[in-house]
Amino acid sequence: MSLDRLKENWATIVVYIVLAVLVLASSLMSDIFPTYRNVSNLMNQAVALGIVSMGQTLVLLTAGIDLSVGSVISLTTCLTTGLIMGREPMVLPVVALVIALGLFIGFCNGTIIVKTGVSPLIVTLAMMSIVQGCVFLYAKGPIGELPSSFYFIAWGKLGTVPFPAIILGAISAIGIVVQKQTSFGQYLFAIGGNEEIARRSGINVDRVKIVTYMICSLAATLSGIFLSSRMGQGDPLAGGRYMIDSIIPPVLGGTSLVGGKGGLVGTLAGIFILTIISNILNLLNVETYWQWVMTGFIMIIAVAFSGKEAT
Amino acid sequence: MNENVFEMQSISKSFPGVQALDKVDFTGVEGEVHALVGENGAGKSTLMKILAGAYRQDEGSILLRGKGVSFASPKDAQRHGISTIYQEFNLIPELNVAENIFLGHEPRKGRSLFIDKTHAYRMSRDLLTNLGAEIDTRKKVKHLSVAQQQMVEIAKALCLNAEIMIMDEPSAVVSGKELDSLFRIIRSLREGGRTIIYISHRIDEVFEIADRATVLKDGKLVGTVRPRDLDKGDIIKMMVGRTFAEVFPPKEKGERRPILTLKNVCRSGILKDVSLTVYTGEILGVAGLVGAGRTELARVIFGADPLERGEIIFDGRRLKKARPKVSIFHGIGFVTEDRKNEGLVHCLSIRKNLTSVILDRIRKWCFVNEREEKDIAKESVRRFKIMPPKIEQEVESLSGGNQQKVILAKWINADSKLIIMDEPTRGIDVGAKAEFYILMRQLAKQGKAILMISSELPEVIGMSDRIVVMHEGHIMGELSPSEAREETILMMATGQIRGKETEEQNLES
Repeated sequence: MSLDRLKENWATIVVYIVLAVLVLASSLMSDIFPTYRNVSNLMNQAVALGIVSMGQTLVLLTAGIDLSVGSVISLTTCLTTGLIMGREPMVLPVVALVIALGLFIGFCNGTIIVKTGVSPLIVTLAMMSIVQGCVFLYAKGPIGELPSSFYFIAWGKLGTVPFPAIILGAISAIGIVVQKQTSFGQYLFAIGGNEEIARRSGINVDRVKIVTYMICSLAATLSGIFLSSRMGQGDPLAGGRYMIDSIIPPVLGGTSLVGGKGGLVGTLAGIFILTIISNILNLLNVETYWQWVMTGFIMIIAVAFSGKEAT
Repeated sequence: MNENVFEMQSISKSFPGVQALDKVDFTGVEGEVHALVGENGAGKSTLMKILAGAYRQDEGSILLRGKGVSFASPKDAQRHGISTIYQEFNLIPELNVAENIFLGHEPRKGRSLFIDKTHAYRMSRDLLTNLGAEIDTRKKVKHLSVAQQQMVEIAKALCLNAEIMIMDEPSAVVSGKELDSLFRIIRSLREGGRTIIYISHRIDEVFEIADRATVLKDGKLVGTVRPRDLDKGDIIKMMVGRTFAEVFPPKEKGERRPILTLKNVCRSGILKDVSLTVYTGEILGVAGLVGAGRTELARVIFGADPLERGEIIFDGRRLKKARPKVSIFHGIGFVTEDRKNEGLVHCLSIRKNLTSVILDRIRKWCFVNEREEKDIAKESVRRFKIMPPKIEQEVESLSGGNQQKVILAKWINADSKLIIMDEPTRGIDVGAKAEFYILMRQLAKQGKAILMISSELPEVIGMSDRIVVMHEGHIMGELSPSEAREETILMMATGQIRGKETEEQNLES
């Protein structure tokens, strides 16, 4: 790796150094932190956040944003558990249905954004209201039941490896390959960098954007399916925090909110930074709401920092 | 061999209020560099945008190798082998060199979705090596120098297999050694049988590189010549000299006293030791090419941009901090070049726009005194003959000329002593222009100082009481309109000659 290349990837390298320091510090602060049990618990927490924030990263790269992901997660948990109702044979059809629904919501987001030119912030905020409303029409509180086999997703193990770790690994690998090795991945950067130039280079900008919102919504759906398995029940409020939380790992990882810069490798580090912070605060018995306060601060600081770098 | 690669036949194009092109013919043969020259607004860019598929002509036809074509989009023109290298580059800074070269048509591994990166990097390196440019193809474009970016642009065009390359003022961004290597590349492209259209207003370059030159003026074809058979003066003569006469009001002056003095005003890379004095009761014209630093000068005076070095003395006071609010308070008004974004609040009424800079004066406590506001607005509409004379109408629906009057009236309401006008008559039709000229002259007669930036040479000569010419951030000298001819101004604006020094420059030396 030449010096130039090192300099170009400097932001990402810094994020990984921060992550390493955090792991080290956490291990020193708490004896429980480095145990097998806590690490697999940590993995379990990282997956739901991880999948959705990788989807969010792709949208952010195009200079968009998807605020509807939280409501899509809530919708998915309620429908998955509520429709399966503990019946094993219903698993596949219901999973297929929620995935189709997720893709459809993403398609609507993307299509409305490219056809009307309304800002993604507004479109997806409105979509959040629509979807969340529908969720509450369907379920007012925790709902549904799952067959025991479904629990494997969040609690299973392959050998000694927790299944959630495998899910996260597989999805990150797919994501990073798509981002780095395909034209689609390149177009995300081009569109976020300068939409007009992307268009002039012959890229079908509208189609790429619609597909990106579909992927993001699909990611939210997968997070929702995972959460269903983890909680065993659907919850109309399950996704609430993910609207904000999904934006933090990409921002921490160096993805610019104005698009065209960053990527999934950084996001992966961001996911673990956020999860570890929340994990260590739990271990130190800090109240959850302090985490919300901190999350807000982290976001402001991270964005302000990345904004500086851009100019 | 001398068959035309492309042929544009009697192309006409008009925009609201302007006939941008009037029956222009333009051709290119294999292996030639064809320069397209003319003043700002002569129609060069419009003609090239039509060839590149960005605009559609109203009349006329385009033939490619004898066959009629019509391009639906720039992409379509690209597919036919026409590529444009714009002044502002079409590169994505965050992507690397190879990714930019192949953007939109990445080579794939077989039929898979994956990009064949090895191939892309090898091809890019080969393309750049052929151009004689050693650039790391994995480097992000944002880390390249401007000249290197230009090479990447050219490589991108080559990669699209462009037979016809349009270079829009390529020399505007590079100079010296880089320009030499650009010329070397252009020559080698020509030897490779490509047709290069070289847009420039630098006469020297045209002589150095072009096989033929086509001169446009006011949207009309003046002629296509072989530069080798002519000298520079001939081409400059073709570029200037009007076909229509414009009527300018007689030059009546008002009370004359110095109001604004600039001493060695600098902004890094943009303004270099600018010194001049503006007097009340007269119009000072600032001529120069686009990018000479005229608008930047206006912005510094108005306080919209910071002053790095030097002094600005207005009406006996030294303006230190760049704050438009203070400049307005002291009496500087700025009629900006970009009416739509900087001059007016489009969705507000004539009344609200007319009083937007004097709200401090007409308010009681926190509330705007509406009656006073209406009186002021009515008075302005009457005095400046703003049409339609409805003060509640949104300015968006007004014609360009009337919008310009609203802006001017706004500054008069603010009691501006100096009014800076940046391209005041751009985009307004001939009748409105004449009316606006009369207004400007009236204001000067009443003792206002007017600093007029204009790229229209007849306007500069016809309206100014004194003329200064800028070139690359320098004041090249001062002319009096009686001695100024368009040729002289153009020679000064292109840096070929210097004029008489301004009084301030005299004082220093």
